[in-house]
Amino acid sequence: MKFVKFIISLLAAAGLTYVLNRPLGAVPALGRLFSPFEGFWQNGESKLDLPPTDLQLEGVQNEVNVVFDDNRVPHVFAKNDHDVYFTQGYLMARDRLWQMEFYTLAASGRLAEVVGERALELDRYSRRMGMADAAKKVYENGKTNKIFDEVLNAYSAGVNTYIKQLRYKNLPVEYKIIGYQPEEWSPYKTILMMMNMRNVLNGGSDDFRMSNALSKYGMEVMKDLFPNYPSNESPIIPVGTKWNFTPVPVPAPPAQISAPMSVSESVAFDIPQHSPEIGSNNWAVGGEKSATGLPILANDPHLQLTLPSIWYQMQLCTPTMNVYGACLPGAPGVVIGFNKDVAWGVTNVGSDVMDFYQIKFKDNTKKEYWYNGAWKPTTMRIEEFVVKGRPEALKDTVYSTHHGPIVYNAASDKNFNQNVPVGHAMRWVAHEKEGTDLMAFYYLNRAKNYDDYRKALTYYVAPAQNFVFASNQNDISITPNGKLPLKWKEQGKFIMDGSNPAHDWQGWIPVEQNPTVKNPPRGFVSSANQFSADPTYPYYLGWRFAPSERAIRINERLEKMQKATVDSLRMLQNDNFNVEARRILPVLMKILNADSSETKNPAYQTLAKWNMKNDANEVGATIFERWVKELRYTVFEDEFPMTNLKTPMVYPSRNRMWDMVVKEPTAKWFDNVSTKNKQETLQDVVKQSFKASIDSLTMKLGPMNAETWAWNKVKSTDINHLGRLPGFGRQDIPNGGGAGIVNATTELNGPSWRMVVQLDKGWPKAYGLYPGGQSGNPASPFYDNMIDKWAKGELNELLFMKSKDEKSSRISGTVKISKK
Amino acid sequence: MNYIIILIVSAVAQYFLPWWVIAPIAFAIGAWKSETALGAYAAAAGAIATLWVGYATFLNSANEGIMVEKIGGLFSENIKFLKNLPVTPTFFTIMTIIGSQVAGLSATAGYHFRQLFK
Repeated sequence: MKFVKFIISLLAAAGLTYVLNRPLGAVPALGRLFSPFEGFWQNGESKLDLPPTDLQLEGVQNEVNVVFDDNRVPHVFAKNDHDVYFTQGYLMARDRLWQMEFYTLAASGRLAEVVGERALELDRYSRRMGMADAAKKVYENGKTNKIFDEVLNAYSAGVNTYIKQLRYKNLPVEYKIIGYQPEEWSPYKTILMMMNMRNVLNGGSDDFRMSNALSKYGMEVMKDLFPNYPSNESPIIPVGTKWNFTPVPVPAPPAQISAPMSVSESVAFDIPQHSPEIGSNNWAVGGEKSATGLPILANDPHLQLTLPSIWYQMQLCTPTMNVYGACLPGAPGVVIGFNKDVAWGVTNVGSDVMDFYQIKFKDNTKKEYWYNGAWKPTTMRIEEFVVKGRPEALKDTVYSTHHGPIVYNAASDKNFNQNVPVGHAMRWVAHEKEGTDLMAFYYLNRAKNYDDYRKALTYYVAPAQNFVFASNQNDISITPNGKLPLKWKEQGKFIMDGSNPAHDWQGWIPVEQNPTVKNPPRGFVSSANQFSADPTYPYYLGWRFAPSERAIRINERLEKMQKATVDSLRMLQNDNFNVEARRILPVLMKILNADSSETKNPAYQTLAKWNMKNDANEVGATIFERWVKELRYTVFEDEFPMTNLKTPMVYPSRNRMWDMVVKEPTAKWFDNVSTKNKQETLQDVVKQSFKASIDSLTMKLGPMNAETWAWNKVKSTDINHLGRLPGFGRQDIPNGGGAGIVNATTELNGPSWRMVVQLDKGWPKAYGLYPGGQSGNPASPFYDNMIDKWAKGELNELLFMKSKDEKSSRISGTVKISKK
Repeated sequence: MNYIIILIVSAVAQYFLPWWVIAPIAFAIGAWKSETALGAYAAAAGAIATLWVGYATFLNSANEGIMVEKIGGLFSENIKFLKNLPVTPTFFTIMTIIGSQVAGLSATAGYHFRQLFK
């Protein structure tokens, strides 16, 4: 009896302890998670949470001083390059370790290892895209550059020094909740982080949607509806700028510019669409336009907004460098910022750098493919997937042609059972192993003048960016920069023929012939992801860039601006004027008010009175944005279905549609082909879509009212947690803006960092913030402390220190790091 | 007395060792000194409940309760009934149950182990 009692009580105690110490499905080990000695309670931070004032670390060579300001920004003062990057790695890991590793797991297709099955499809996709493979090659190739290798290794050592002294109780709370441990950092992982940026900014394509449309409508229609240059463009390099170079010869387009498609061969792979709303703004006004007589530069890169934020502010100072700005967690150096003499910023170049080739295999083994009149061998790579909760690793075979990897989704794998299997190979600039992007930032961080800027840019490969620049020698410049494929006109607009050598990429545009302009007569430079240059530029860069509205607005305001100040540029960053409404709303309203019953509609009256600004409280913006969406859907979904899963297509641009509304009101595209025996006119679709918009808004929000229909309520910007952990993000942030608005804040995307720098002969004055906070810890007051100010469009003055001993009331703590 | 010993020993031990060290400690003390099964259970459960609640209260107030709110938000997205409960008391209760049951049951097992040799 005694024995039975013992066994039962022992089993109960041991069983409970065991169960609580193990993850159960998605639920982490509860005992450990709830224990106040180890679990989430330990992640509760109070106030600043700075490192100890006297910190001894293995790996620093000399004393390093770190000053933290009241926004918890570290200002690092080191005696050499090694120590500054080591400390940057250490401090970033301290604040953002989980986030840094998350990016690398995503880029290398390893998320399923930590979150299980639900990330498997995404992982398969990332592996097929070959980012991990490319990252390895980029590092192998880049490390022959001694500085590059030293910087990456010093940074890595700093991260690892932090990781090594971590115990479970100090792990970022996401590790505890999801239930895994950080791995060692390495230079390869920094490159993976950069791959992530290449994917976000250059990883979309419309090729297969365009090919679907081409095979249905033919080339004439495609030329008409999908032109290579929009009618309303305001390009980055001002029209009329001379091209000071002799262009290299560009091959003529072959007779057939697309792959021979037939319906059975139509593709349905999961490549995300080219996404122009992930855009950005930057500009610089020259001295003659500024109040100070010296340039002022502004930049706001638009990305998906997350917590922790994609940016981390730092000042990095050595005897040969003193730079401040926004850094990417996981990468050394400052990406967007300024020093004593210069400031620079970036926006994405929307050129077409991801193309697809139709591949004809010899047989189902996919060992050979047809190219230039002969069978050519493919290369094969086996990808292994460790999946949390699965006893065995999964395998996937990826074949590559000389173009790049064969990418297709599971559904279209069935195509390969046919006698002549067809696949699609991807040619993507992100696979380029040449060049060392980070060195461009390394040299920009140290740049003193325009020549240093031009030299720094030559190191940069991808994702191509519009590098805006200003110096205190009164120079301003902008350069759409990166490795840009040398293409014949319209190359890669459609899926190409993988057997035809003429369809291969034909080399590169010489980097010094990338579009650029210095001190243009108009007195300012700017970019908003629009076309880099007008058609006089001798090279073809792509047929589709971001819509022009932001660029038009920025350029017209800068054109008029005199005696510009930091505040006038800050206000331009927050400009909510709707250029599209100015162009088309009067036309649409005229169509509506032909029918007097419409003019009594309260929604019509609201629109008629609307100031054409997407301000937070405007109901007009809500109706207009919805209406445009609805109208596009009504006009084009019948002919160019975006939602058709089998043969998705893409709508003609908004600009092309407005041209049609104004200049070709009888175009056949206004007719809805799915209504038999009825011919819809422009008037019909305008009225229909207006009614549908009001109906759907009413259904969702109730009868029209200034409160519930306010634009910010409908747009509702959310900043979610990077790992989508509920409760760790911030929802329904009150602000205006929109996709084609200078203040490009949408549901999930927006200005991820806003910066304005006023250059000075003495010492620059700079302002900036991002919608998040320096700490990656959700329990820290510095996790999301900048969001409210950001939503209001305000900026923080940035503390740019001359030396570690500089006095300032904004200093909240100092740390001395010495050799252990 | 057992209550005090478990409280002190496990406070020190948990600084260096994983959370489940409370189980062997409670077992050992239960085997060593307990008079009755219920006494063993109560002392251990009470000691860990006191220790955990005390320490968590300290950490929570230093953080002004932000962490527990976030974790509460996370759990209640997945376990719906939690949505209707106040976060902080609920999470203190869950924590107390986990700690006290592991310790209490272990101490009881320790007591019964001792009985085998009497």
